[in-house]
This record gives sequence, C-alpha cells and structure tokens, in this order.
Amino acid sequence: MERASRVAGVLVRGSVYLMLALPALIVIASSVSRTRFLTFPPQGFTLDWYGRAFRSQAFMGSLALSTELAVAATLLALAIGTPAAYAIDRHRFRGRDLFHAFVMSPMIVPLVVLAIGLLQLMTWLGFGQAFLRLLVGHVVITLPYVVRTMTASLALFDRALEEAAMNLRATPWQVVRRVTLPILLPGLLSAAVFCFVTSFGNITVSVFLARGNQVTLPVQIFTYVEHSYDPILAAVSTLVIVVTLIVIFLVERTVGLERMV
Amino acid sequence: MVAASSTGGAAGSRARRAWRLQVAPSAALLLAFLVIPVLILGRISFYPADRSFGATGWSLRHYAKFFGDIFYVGVLGETILYGLVVAVATLVVGFPVGYSLARMPARGRRWRIALVILPLTLSLVVNVFGWLVILGGEGMVNRLLVALGLVDAPLRLLFNRGAVLLVLAHTFLPFQILSIMSVVAHIDPALEEAAANLRAGRWTTLRRVILPLAWPGIVAGSTLVFILTISAFVTPRLVGGARVPMLGSLIFEQIIVVQNWPFGGAMSFVLLAIVLALLVLANRSLGPRSSVSRT
Repeated sequence: MERASRVAGVLVRGSVYLMLALPALIVIASSVSRTRFLTFPPQGFTLDWYGRAFRSQAFMGSLALSTELAVAATLLALAIGTPAAYAIDRHRFRGRDLFHAFVMSPMIVPLVVLAIGLLQLMTWLGFGQAFLRLLVGHVVITLPYVVRTMTASLALFDRALEEAAMNLRATPWQVVRRVTLPILLPGLLSAAVFCFVTSFGNITVSVFLARGNQVTLPVQIFTYVEHSYDPILAAVSTLVIVVTLIVIFLVERTVGLERMV
Repeated sequence: MVAASSTGGAAGSRARRAWRLQVAPSAALLLAFLVIPVLILGRISFYPADRSFGATGWSLRHYAKFFGDIFYVGVLGETILYGLVVAVATLVVGFPVGYSLARMPARGRRWRIALVILPLTLSLVVNVFGWLVILGGEGMVNRLLVALGLVDAPLRLLFNRGAVLLVLAHTFLPFQILSIMSVVAHIDPALEEAAANLRAGRWTTLRRVILPLAWPGIVAGSTLVFILTISAFVTPRLVGGARVPMLGSLIFEQIIVVQNWPFGGAMSFVLLAIVLALLVLANRSLGPRSSVSRT
C-alpha cells in the first residue's frame, strides 16, 4: 500500500516534469522536419527552415528589437527597483507596507488592462515611437521582479559587514561600492535575468504597444500564428527557446536557479 | 510625517531623506504609467459614444450593454469558471511536485527547478505554439492515435474548451509549484515526524499539519493562477479560436479589431473589479500580516 502510493507519486511527478518541458521539446524537434506543415515526430531532417528564418527581415528585425528592448528594460528596472527594495528593507517609513504592495502590483493587475490604458495614455501624449512605448510598459512589468528578488537578498544581508566597514572609516559611498554591492551581486544578477526573460518573451503588453515595423519577436510570432503556421515558425521559436535556455544555464552556473524563484 | 529610521543622529537625518529618494523613482513610474493609465481607461469606459477620441459626457451605457446581454454575461461566467478550474487543477497537480521539491536534497532539485522555470521564462507565444504542434491535425497526439490504430482519421483536438484549459493549466502550473515549494520549505519536517510518532497516518498528517501550515502558499498561488487565467487572451485566441471566448479575448477584440474603446474599457474594468474583489478576499483569509501581492 505504502509502496504503491510511492510509485504513483513518482509517476505523477515524472509526468508533470515531462509535460512542463513538452511544448519546448516538440517545437525544437518539429523545426527540422522536411514537410511544409508542422508535424511531430519530424519527417526527414533539414536546416532549411533556419536558413529562411535568418534571411527573413521581419523575424530578424524583431529579434534585434526584442533583445535591445529587454536589455534596456532590465537596466532601467534594476536602476529603479533596487533603491525601492533598499528603502523597503532598511527604512521604517510610514506607508512602507503600502509602498511595497504598490511596487508589486504590476504582477497582479491584469496586463491586458495595463496595456490598453498605457496605449490610450501614449496616444493622447503623442508618444508615437514604438520602442519608447514598449520600454515604458516593460519597465513597469519587470519592476516587481527586481523588488521581490532584491528584498529577499537584502533580508539575508549581514549588516555587521557594513558597520565593520564604517568603523574602519570607509565613506558611505565606499561602503556601498566595496561591501554592499558585491554582496548583493548574485541577487542583482538573478533579478536581471528574470527581467530579461520576462521582457524578451512578453506578448500581453507588447501586442498592444508595438506598431508598424517596430514589432517584438513574440508579437511577430503571434501575428504569424494567427494566419498560418509552418516550420519556419518552429525555427524562430527554437531561437527564442535557445536564448531562454542559455540565460537559465548561465544563472544555474553562476548563482544557482534557486535564487531566481 | 517623518517616521523613525534605522540609524540615529546626523546620519539619521540623511537616512530620513534617503528613503524618499529611493522610493521616488518607482513610485513616480507606477503613478504615471500604471495608476494614470488605469484611471484613463476607467474614464473612457463611461463615455456614451462608441469612440473615445473627442468624446465627452458620462454614461453607464457600456456597462448596461455588457450586463444586459446574455452572451457577455455567459462569457464572464465561463471565464470565472475557467479560472476556478485551472486554479484547482494546478493546485492538485502542483502540490505533490512543490512538496517533493521542498523536501528534496539540493542536488536533485537543480534540474527539476530548471524544468519548472522553463515554461515560466519561455515566451507564452512559444509555449502555446508548442501545444498547437502537439494537438494539431498532424501533431504528436493525432499521429500517435492513428499509428496505434485507435482512430482512423486525425481528431480535432484544438479549438475546444479542454484544449484551452489544458494549455492554461500548463502555462500557470509553475506559479503554483513554486508558491507551494517556498511555503513547504519553511515547515519544519520535525512537525511531520512528531505527527507520525503520534500515530497520525500520512493523510491525517497532510490534512492536520501540512495543509494548515502551507495555507498561505496555497492561497497565494491559487489566487495568482486564477487572476492570470481570467486575464488570459493569447491562449484562448490561439488555442480556442472563436469557439472558446474568454473575457480577455473579447477585450482584445474590442480594442484591436472593433476599436470600440469605451466598451473595451468597460469590460477591462469588470475584469479589474473581479481581481480586486478576489485580492481583498484572499488577503482577509490570510490575516493582516501577510498579503498575496507580496509573495
């Protein structure tokens, strides 16, 4: 009885892990099929779809845009969110709990609502440039990840180290630069990674704010899927998977994935 | 207005000013690009016209249209139902996984966490696209069924409720797993051993010890999954098509296709109202010290 339930548990968990990875595995496999339609298992082997993807102006242009956007949004979110996390951890100001809930709120407000409101505001302000519109939206949605990761890092921080540095007559700036920041670096790195992948993969906000030829890769894939789908999409999606996997791998090697969750 | 800070004296007054500088950028950003946009959308939803450009006046017309039409009310009900189904399904499937992750030695946990994080970090569009390939006419499931001789011709597995629910549950399962993992990790295993020593069975231990202690994580994870599900529009659009409308996909259509901003805004506010009501309920069930929005 005990043994049967243990076997059942292993089976359930095993199939959950398999299911979690399944779509990504299937996309990668079907990207090399010789057929003109998407199929699994793939029939034959070809890298032709990758050649087409790399020659496609639309896909490569949006890949570049998505990457630039993700880097810019990450840097801005770190610059804005880290001081917020610092204030939440270190200062007992009035309205601190409210402020904490406020900076975490983009995780809970339906993104479709946020995106439509932003689009209307930007239209009224004459904010025509798609990159700036996207950047604003992406900084708002990535900010909570920075605050969450950094408040967790700061909570584990041993303040005696800073006090020791101050006793050794280090200036406040030296303390921040030589003690605080190096200790917080793993946290900053995992926050950066979460911001990057969140921005890079986002569709719910981008689909409203992107316009004309300024379109991110997920939006490009979305519009493509709505009309037709062939293995070129699988090839492009595999590129997205590879970027994501590289980032996850880097985190695993440097600070460990557990910091990211 | 100035509250006590962590340090005293001259450094204290500097620290007192410091928190304002640290808080200001994010507060300003969210005020300008989260609060104001939502307020604007709220204002738009009360325009009497079907266009927001150059409109004036106030009216409840769009809300009346939404709640007066059996189609829209039906979609609203179905969307809430999907939210409940997906939240419960991910909880039932995610609890054993999250629990075992929390109780596992760090070595075995690494690749498993990578698998859990993958759908979370991967673009939603790629995830959904993967499911289209799995469930499509020439997809994995259909070819398997045909090869096994279970069916003669490929089945139509897409564009139905089951497919939408499956993909939504898959997409949001990681949130539930991680939420449960983090809360179970803080439960002292000695409590479970104590329960076992007192001859409590595994089921009794789960019901009387683990579940009450894991309750905050369960509420937080389920609330988040429910909110994400009822706000979804990409998955119902691509997997369900016109056959499985959800509130999110109706909003998308009103804004992008029909361009009836006031009506789209009214539907957005209905969605927002449900989310806020749920958050109030969830926070109440967790007590004053913890809040859903902070997990």
